[in-house]
This record gives sequence, structure tokens and C-alpha cells, in this order.
Amino acid sequence: MQRETTHLEIEPFTILGVCAGLIPYPHHNQSPRNTYQCAMGKQAIGTIAYNQRNRIDTLMYLLTYPEAPMVKSKTIDLIGFDKVPAGQNAMVAVMSYSGYDIEDALILNKASVDRGFGRCHVYRNQKCILKKYANQSFDRIMGPLIDGNTREVIWKHKVLDQDGICSPGERVTNKQVLLNKSMPVVTMSPIETGNKSEQQQQEFQDVPITYKGPVDSYIENVMISSNPEEAFLIKVLLRQTRRPEIGDKFSSRHGQKGVCGLIVQQEDMPFNDLGICPDIIMNPHGFPSRMTVGKLMELLAGKAGLLDGQFHYGTAFGGDKVEDMCQDLIRHGYNYLGKDFFTSGITGDGGLRLGEMERDCLIGYGASMLLLERLMISSDQFEVDVCGECGLLGYSGGCHYCKSSCNVSSLRIPYACKLLFQELQSMNIVPRLKLKNTQNENCQENENNGLKDEGVDLDGKRRD
Amino acid sequence: MDTPNPAATPKEGAPPSSKAIVYVCGECRQDNEMRPRDPIRCRECGYRIMYKKRTKRGEKQT
Repeated sequence: MQRETTHLEIEPFTILGVCAGLIPYPHHNQSPRNTYQCAMGKQAIGTIAYNQRNRIDTLMYLLTYPEAPMVKSKTIDLIGFDKVPAGQNAMVAVMSYSGYDIEDALILNKASVDRGFGRCHVYRNQKCILKKYANQSFDRIMGPLIDGNTREVIWKHKVLDQDGICSPGERVTNKQVLLNKSMPVVTMSPIETGNKSEQQQQEFQDVPITYKGPVDSYIENVMISSNPEEAFLIKVLLRQTRRPEIGDKFSSRHGQKGVCGLIVQQEDMPFNDLGICPDIIMNPHGFPSRMTVGKLMELLAGKAGLLDGQFHYGTAFGGDKVEDMCQDLIRHGYNYLGKDFFTSGITGDGGLRLGEMERDCLIGYGASMLLLERLMISSDQFEVDVCGECGLLGYSGGCHYCKSSCNVSSLRIPYACKLLFQELQSMNIVPRLKLKNTQNENCQENENNGLKDEGVDLDGKRRD
Repeated sequence: MDTPNPAATPKEGAPPSSKAIVYVCGECRQDNEMRPRDPIRCRECGYRIMYKKRTKRGEKQT
């Protein structure tokens, strides 16, 4: 800033608020997706505040293991989102799996779920007021009942303390009593209770607060207080732990929501070359029409950050460069686009079959490099030594037919092709390879010259 | 089951009144012994919110 400066441009990312500021690389997304995310980010389960375990809310969902996002933004730093995070970093495989992932459904790894992925606490509460009535009678809480025969507390009152209120830390089952309250039968006629003896033997009826629910709960906390009318107020905070199940909604930060369609045993999940299974499998059909490029960049940034053990920034109109992250991936021996080779956990097959018809399509289209990759490089690539003189296959750099290692070049062909040559030879047909552009003057192997440069001609000739 | 329970009821009417339960003050964490019908007020700081202590059941008796 100089002395003449009168105006200053604001930092571009500050035009976004809290909701949009959490999206990594929002400037690479189709705009409606950012809008959707702004509405959906508010539904996220996570951390609500530092006092979350002391509050007594009617209903509160909290993530058991919240994580700060690996792809941060300047906004996240400014608002301290990494201190009250709402979400987890998942390992996501973008691929098709089993058909239970169509229409935005997701596949979850059961072992991940067992380890605590997506697990949350559900807090509920029960309230109770001990009233004082017009005839000076009042509600009371009784201690637990004892079975006359066994001298033990009856099952319904197992969790009660001597004060008739459930004890924190206890587990309650359906129909068990949380508060053993009883109220007087006569509450409105003060004349009748004028008689002292009658007041002593006032009739009470049980109005216990019981726990209702198919799943057991734990008593987290019990609060006792009184309100201005001198009525006792008792609040019981109940806790449950909930694991993800089929039909639960999951979402990334790009308006890409989906429901869990299937939870798969880890044994059946696809795994990469290191044996790593993803936490989530997401269908790739969600990408082309939605154009959430920012999500792809987040995936890349996350993977690169994971390998280096650092956070990356996906700040709007800025953030870490894709090229740098690609370099990080290469440095760790990964594909620079973040692609990984996965093997099916069910069949042991890798990828989908590129059949004859599909091959015909690619030939018709002229996608020669794709054909080369699919049918050779990713398939049964094999290195052979071919003699330029006789056109036959040699081995370990020498030609057995010419008894010479001059004119022998190394090249890569499909193993099936090499096998075909040898089988033909066994039937008394000699296939000879004609090599072009081989540098046979200096009698050196040319590793660098792939198929593209050498231009292999297959010329089968019948032996005389 | 019904017959022994009413017999047990009067027996149980007595213990709560006799036994005081310890509660913890929400403000100063002071232990407060209180009986039923006692006003809810911390003896130390006068705070009106109390919490129950964690259950002793399930712990190993030593």
C-alpha cells in the first residue's frame, strides 16, 4: 500500500460466507452444486460446541470420532472449523460395485464401520416436574421396590438409586423406570384434606417415568433443580450409540449426497496394490453431469496430503496447485492423476473386461493409444529379444539362429503374440518380424524405442 | 408377584427419607448431602442446579 492508495481490493475468498467457505475449490464447481452444498452443510452431524457433553437437549446427534478436514481452506482457519469439526476423512474409491450403488447410492466398508466410521452419539432427554397441588399435597418420588421373596430390587427398578431417580452410568432397557414418581389421587379438594388423619394416609398412585425404546440407552447425566414455583425439576440425559446403516445419508462437501446402499465385508471390497480397501465406494456416474471438478481436486489434494502427512488448501480462487499435488503423487510412486489399480475382493479380477465388441469400437474410432494400453500395457506386456537379421525371437540379448548378438533389439509385445509365434513355429510355419528404425550399427539394445518408433511388421512366410 | 410388592412398599417408604443422597453442585462442584423435600440449593454457593453422582453399581466391591 502506498501513500496515494485510497481503495483496497478485498481478498476474493472473503466474499464467501461460512457455508460456502468450507467447500474446497468451489471455483472449479458448477455453481448450483455450491448452492446445494450451502444448504446441505448445515445438516452435517459433528461437533456443535465445546459444552456439548454438558448440555441437556431434547435431541442431539454428535459424531463419535469427528475429524478436521484434510483439505482445508483459509475460511476454515478463520472460523476455527477444525476445532469444532463436522465430518470425517474417508478413503473413497470412485468406481462401480455390485449394482447397489446406482442412483447416488454408496457402498460402505463394514470393517470401517466397525472401527467407528460414521458412528454417532444420540442424546435424548426425559423431564419431570414434581408439582405442589391446591390442597397442599405434592408429587413424591419413591425409592426402588424390593421383591418380598428374594429381598432384591425388582427388575423394573434396577437402575434406581435410593432417591428414586436413575443413576448416571446405568444401562436402561425398554419398560424400566427412570423416575419412580407418584402423585396424590385427590388434588383439588382442600376441604376433605382438612382432616389431619386423612392427610397422613393420603392415597397415591404411581406415575413412573419409564424408558421406552427398542434399543437400550445409557444414563449420561441427571440434573435436579427447582423452578420459581418451588416445584422440583428433574432432567435425565440419555445416550445411545448409533452405527451407520443402509439408508443413511452421506455427503461430501460438493453437494454430492448419497444414501448407503450396501455395507460390504472388507474381504469383498476391492483393494489396491498395497492391499488398502476404501471406506466408501462412490459411483462414477455422479461426476459427468454434475461437473464437480472441485471434488476431484479435493480427492487429489487429500491423497497427496495423506502421502506427505500434511494438509492441503482448497481455498476459493486460490488453493494448492493441482500440478504440485500430481508431483507429490509421482514422488510416492502413484499415478499422477490419482488413479489406482484395484483388484476385486470377490473374484480377484482387476477392472472390467474390454471385450471383442468393445475392442472393435475402439479400432473403429481410432483410439490406438487406448487400445495399446488396454490390450498390452495393462494386460500381458512381455519383453522379447528379436533378431533384426532373421526376424526370429532370441533370448538374453542373442539370436540362437544367427549365433550373434548383433541386430538383436528388445521390444514389448503381448505375451499372447509371442506365444502365437512359438506355436506357429512348432507347426513348421515360421513367423518373421521385420524391424524398422533399429539402430543396428552400434549393436546396442534400444530400450527407449518402444513399439511406436520401431513399427513392427509381422510377416509370416512358409518355410521351403 | 402382586402380593409381595404391596407388602414391600411400606418398607421402601422409609429408606428414602432416612438416607441422604449426595449430589454435586453445578457451579462449584461441592458435594451436597440432601434428603427428599430439601430445597435444592448448594450450601457453599447457593446455586440451584445439582447433578447426581455416577453409579457405584457394577464396580468391583473391594
